[in-house]
Amino acid sequence: MNKLSEIDKSNPFTVPEDYFSRLNEQIMNCLPEKEAIEPQKVTMWDRVKPWIYMAAMFLGFFFAIQFLTKETGNHAGAGQTAINFTDDYWSTVQISEEEFYQYLEEQLVRDGYYDYIYNQFYMN
Amino acid sequence: MEKYSEEQLLARLRDPKTQREAFATLVAEYSERLYWQIRKMVLSHEDSNDILQEVFIKAWTNIDNFRGESKLTTWLYRIAINESITFLNKKRTQNNISVDDENSFLLSRLEGDQYFNGDEAQKLLQRAILTLPDKQRLVFQMKYFDEMKYEEMSEILSTSVGALKASYHHAVKKIENFLTDSN
Repeated sequence: MNKLSEIDKSNPFTVPEDYFSRLNEQIMNCLPEKEAIEPQKVTMWDRVKPWIYMAAMFLGFFFAIQFLTKETGNHAGAGQTAINFTDDYWSTVQISEEEFYQYLEEQLVRDGYYDYIYNQFYMN
Repeated sequence: MEKYSEEQLLARLRDPKTQREAFATLVAEYSERLYWQIRKMVLSHEDSNDILQEVFIKAWTNIDNFRGESKLTTWLYRIAINESITFLNKKRTQNNISVDDENSFLLSRLEGDQYFNGDEAQKLLQRAILTLPDKQRLVFQMKYFDEMKYEEMSEILSTSVGALKASYHHAVKKIENFLTDSN
């Protein structure tokens, strides 16, 4: 009865005579030639190019930030002045909203009266 | 031929000036081991010889991309195993062989090979081994014949040690059953 442990474990495969002594040479002979890669010449411009690009980028950023901060600064200044003006104005006014409208109405009535007198005496 | 450590050999392989000479060292070191690995997979001497040449051509053309993340041996074994499995699959497709006929296809190659000197029991063992799927066959041969460590096999086959142990255990069982049934 055949069992795994009872079978001869030695290698049953063989090779032609002198196969291994010629094998390495045979393999080396069939290797393709590799193209020699010429190292590329690095010019001065190639070396400084990344630095110049980086400097240009930083300059761009700098001017963009300058421009934007100036713009928003102007807007903020104008707004601030208007707010200050109205704040100052109303801080000196001692009348209520109702009194303010009453005043406007009186002014309009008075203006209307003056217009009437003007028309009566000077236009006729 | 001068002996180099793996690091020295790698450094020489990366230098265009010493590359070819270093590759010759690599071929001298591994060609025989790789030949037997391939031979056990494809069985025929002629096919093994062709595949081995293809393995070294692939290694030569890709040596510049080898980053040294694995050992050179592991890398070469992987190429050899991939080439062997690709060869077997191509032959099966070319001959329109179904999965069931895989054994007879390889067995006929074995019987027709003048470089097989095994006795009847060894021939029967080869027939039993041919009943295994390609990868299990590989695991069995690496462990049983080459007595390779599971850790090394794990690196070559990118499979866990546990899975390899299980695969080997099943392979032995299948072979034992085949041998028992054949009597």
